[in-house]
Amino acid sequence: MDQLIQETKLSNEEIFTVLNQFITEVIGEEFVEEMDITPASSFTKDLEMDSIEIVAFSEKVKAHFGENIDFTGWLSNMDLDEIIQLKLENIINYIRECQ
Amino acid sequence: MPVIALPNIRLHVQELNPGGRETIILVHGMFSNLAVYYFNIAPILARQYHVVLYDMKGHGMSEKAVQGYGLTAMTDDLTALMDSLGIEKAHLAGYSYGGLVALKMATRFPERINKLAVIEGPDPSDQETLAIIDTYSKEFLIHYIDNFADTTRMKAGRRQLEKNHRMYEFLFKETSIRSDMEAEKDFFRDDSISQISSDTLLIYGQNSNCVPSGRILASKIENSELLLVTGDHNVPVQQPEIIGNELYRFFYKSRELDFYETNLLINS
Repeated sequence: MDQLIQETKLSNEEIFTVLNQFITEVIGEEFVEEMDITPASSFTKDLEMDSIEIVAFSEKVKAHFGENIDFTGWLSNMDLDEIIQLKLENIINYIRECQ
Repeated sequence: MPVIALPNIRLHVQELNPGGRETIILVHGMFSNLAVYYFNIAPILARQYHVVLYDMKGHGMSEKAVQGYGLTAMTDDLTALMDSLGIEKAHLAGYSYGGLVALKMATRFPERINKLAVIEGPDPSDQETLAIIDTYSKEFLIHYIDNFADTTRMKAGRRQLEKNHRMYEFLFKETSIRSDMEAEKDFFRDDSISQISSDTLLIYGQNSNCVPSGRILASKIENSELLLVTGDHNVPVQQPEIIGNELYRFFYKSRELDFYETNLLINS
């Protein structure tokens, strides 16, 4: 049983690949080509995403990982400074914990 | 992302808690988008309510339109959206120009509006925005971001600068937005404002230039209360939790309950 659960969980790298794809869809391939997206990338400073782009990204996360992951609820507990400093790895860890 | 095709326009819409007790529709301001509510204010209201957020035409992820930015056209869009979602009656809250859209709804379609909240709705006879449109340039945008964007604590990078510049160029030069806004300059002097009978909450930032506009509305709308909170015109970004909680308290309380009873109910 433990083995089965283990197999269905995505690794950090797999989650990163999915999120990377969402970011590309939201901000466009031509911009992503110029960037070096890593788990340490921050949404606003490094990726230059604005709030409506983070909305689009959130909707993709919800649609992909299911309603069990309350991504908007998790974000809504943060103040603006925390959202500005949010890094991709924070989201990867949150999704992994929810699995 | 949900985009709803209305007869005249395709609008980006987000819904929270569709099973909520009543519906609250939130209208954003000019040159903004639904993200102003999405992260904090909407989730607070969605604890009990069905919350609907949408991007106005030409804004956010909604379809671009070359005309129809006046209050009549904007309220036609909102009515079509309510019809499309099967919402007969809703509470309505609007910020800045969205506050004027909310007021216009209450004057045109009072039977479809329950309570009304106006956040930082500006008197359109003060045509400061038009002066900005007339003198707009990319240099202005860079100057504005460098000097004033601290109030929202968002520093825009090159891609965002280009994206915003494209939006302003489109809205200012290719659409009727300027003349549509100018045509609304007498809206606060319209008799229909005094005839609004909905319970109305007017929220303004105490350091905002728009406070006199709030006082005008408070004097004209019979069932209104004016609430000043710490902040300026950007108060939904500066104080999202306070705005969310005040809206929640306002929509939740019934006329029969006094303030303290409502507090007890909310906190229990």
